[in-house]
Amino acid sequence: METRTKDTVSGNIIDEIIARHRGKPGMLLTTLEEVQEQNQFKYLPGETLAEIAGKLKIPYTQVYSVATFYSYFNLKPQGKHAIVVCRGTACHTKGSKALLDDIAANLGIHRDDNDTDSSYTTPDNLFTIRTVACFGQCAQSPVVEVDGVIHSNVNSRKLQTMLHRVRGEETKKEISYATV
Amino acid sequence: MKVKINNQLVEVAEGITIMEACRLAGIHVPSLCYLKDVSQNASCGVCVVEVKGARSLLRSCITGVTEGMEIMTNSPRAMETRKVNVELLLANHPQDCLICDRNGNCELQLLTFTLGINERRFVRTRREQYTKDESSLSLVRDPEKCILCGRCVAVCSDVQNVKAIDFSGRGLKTRIATFLDAGLGHVACTNCGQCALVCPTGAITEKSCVAEVRALLQQPGKVVLVQTAPAVRVGIGEAMGMPYGSLVTGQMVAGLRRLGFTKVFDTNFAADLTIVEEANELLRRIQTGGTLPMITSCSPGWVKFIEHFYPEQLGHLSTCKSPQQMFGAVAKTYYAEKTGIDPRDIVVVSVMPCTAKKYEARRPEMDGAYLYWKERLNLTEEERFYDVDYALTTRELARMFREAGIEFTRLPEEAFDNPLGESTGAAVIFGTTGGVMEAALRTAYELYTGKKPDTIDFNAVRGLRGIREADIDLNGTILKVAVANTLKNAGLLLDQIKKGTSPYTFIEVMTCPGGCLGGGGQPIPTNEEIRERRAASIYQEDAHKMIRKSHENPEIKRIYEDFLQEPLGERSHHLLHTHYQERGFETGIILGENP
Repeated sequence: METRTKDTVSGNIIDEIIARHRGKPGMLLTTLEEVQEQNQFKYLPGETLAEIAGKLKIPYTQVYSVATFYSYFNLKPQGKHAIVVCRGTACHTKGSKALLDDIAANLGIHRDDNDTDSSYTTPDNLFTIRTVACFGQCAQSPVVEVDGVIHSNVNSRKLQTMLHRVRGEETKKEISYATV
Repeated sequence: MKVKINNQLVEVAEGITIMEACRLAGIHVPSLCYLKDVSQNASCGVCVVEVKGARSLLRSCITGVTEGMEIMTNSPRAMETRKVNVELLLANHPQDCLICDRNGNCELQLLTFTLGINERRFVRTRREQYTKDESSLSLVRDPEKCILCGRCVAVCSDVQNVKAIDFSGRGLKTRIATFLDAGLGHVACTNCGQCALVCPTGAITEKSCVAEVRALLQQPGKVVLVQTAPAVRVGIGEAMGMPYGSLVTGQMVAGLRRLGFTKVFDTNFAADLTIVEEANELLRRIQTGGTLPMITSCSPGWVKFIEHFYPEQLGHLSTCKSPQQMFGAVAKTYYAEKTGIDPRDIVVVSVMPCTAKKYEARRPEMDGAYLYWKERLNLTEEERFYDVDYALTTRELARMFREAGIEFTRLPEEAFDNPLGESTGAAVIFGTTGGVMEAALRTAYELYTGKKPDTIDFNAVRGLRGIREADIDLNGTILKVAVANTLKNAGLLLDQIKKGTSPYTFIEVMTCPGGCLGGGGQPIPTNEEIRERRAASIYQEDAHKMIRKSHENPEIKRIYEDFLQEPLGERSHHLLHTHYQERGFETGIILGENP
């Protein structure tokens, strides 16, 4: 799917976002955050990083430094639905590793524990799996975030249901598109 | 103020750091990421000391002394911690010291030895295996050897204001990278090589062409000419085990002959030529209302800097090629004609204190000699050659000397070959900041006033300060000049021009701290004290020269009579002058960079 890298946020939108934050502390972070949010695939392509650096007059290397430091920023296109598995200590003791493996298997993603990629996206671009060090919801462990909603005390069956539901919604949409 | 260091009572000045206090007291605190005048990251934890009453060990590089402080640099706790911190760095550092470029001259290796580390206790934690960045024509980065001390980042951003590299990623994935990991050859890097000079390990080195040069020296039928930049003669001795700043012109020439170069020539000859052209260019600009201030163009890092960051001001840059390039152009035309050697058989190798010279030699427009011969010899496109074939750094020459078993200190002093080995004191001082300015003034004064100046020592432009300015009295007319070293300082002068407030007529810019003698290709270490010693040797060589003004060099007079005809003439225009190109970098990445 090479075409998706062309889906960059337009210059006008970036200008508008920058105009709202210029001069404020943390303007680079906020700008990166909002621009990523505007991107169809929720990521910051190289062209966009360069554009932001140029417009904010911040060195290119600094923008790259910040964008690679925070796990929040994606430098690769993300799937439509984000599944974030907590890999903190509490969740780990409650089996989050098995959950992660389950999800990967369920989505047909080959994940290697030694692989250092931070996220995996299904070829159909529907799902992205990521991990996080801790959500701060240790009492509810293990927790998994799906599309911004944190689910607590997750087990394999619960997970299946969630994935199933998300998939079902996608299929419904496809059908409705097809009938239009 | 009184403090106690290792139970010794010491009187120290207020406001200094523990490390400075210790070193002044003759007590060595090991350090790694700290580099005087360059970086103070306090990231490596090697310089930790124990201070009575302090809860934890303190990093001596950033902690100031206070009255009555009791410091222990060698308490068991401080020593053990220091050791562990280095051991942790070693966990992710490759074990290929024996075949590393910096073997024998590596700070990490030395620390491992001095701290008595004799086993590898920690396993590698980094999962990625990094590949070398060989995209640059001047430098090679090997992130595997990087220990993340941040010195290169500091020198690139704070000393040079170029910011081609920075930390990226986080945790185990932290690495030094260019924008989008594109590689040094594809971003706005000036190739100055200061990063290589400050790197404590072998993570950044010059892109070596020793093997190519060695092969050419063996090739029958090739006339291999070597030229040596002024700063090499005060640097190469250090790399051969001599004291800092040793002036070894004669031994260097002898050594080069023993390596097998056909003729040993001097870039200084071309430096004299540069001065004659440049002084005339300056006067022409003054007299015809040309773009002023005029800025020197000998330093290739600087040229690339202005092309990237201040392209609208390229008109201020002198059109004179650098001495290295003038030499190449003249060697393959004038010298070839004079000796009847086919220019295609001539190989020009230069020895430079510089990594940016490697890039400069490969600029596509640096083929003046080829264009000169193209019609005369009916040359095809495939026969195209560069004016300068290879540029070695001072460090690479040292390597060649070592490999050839040359006992440098026992070499006799020999003289350069003629005619391209004849030079003046004005050319020697090209090797230090302020030197090109002074050399140009010596000639410009006489050209402008028609008289000889009272003294040819223009002391106002000497010294190692970042920016120096002077009013030069040209027999009544005041010429305002400025000298800048480091690109950050150069940027300040350019900003002034941009604002329209620059009072100067003539500006000299050198990329590296101290000028070429502190160049990115010079022996490691290079620091302020060493730069001062090298500068002293350069001025010493100048003072002892019989002829100290470029236009009085008899071989320069001859080349104008026999070949070039006149300064700024038709031939000079084609062979000795160049043009520049805007290298904006709106995308942050320069595609197709590297000619």
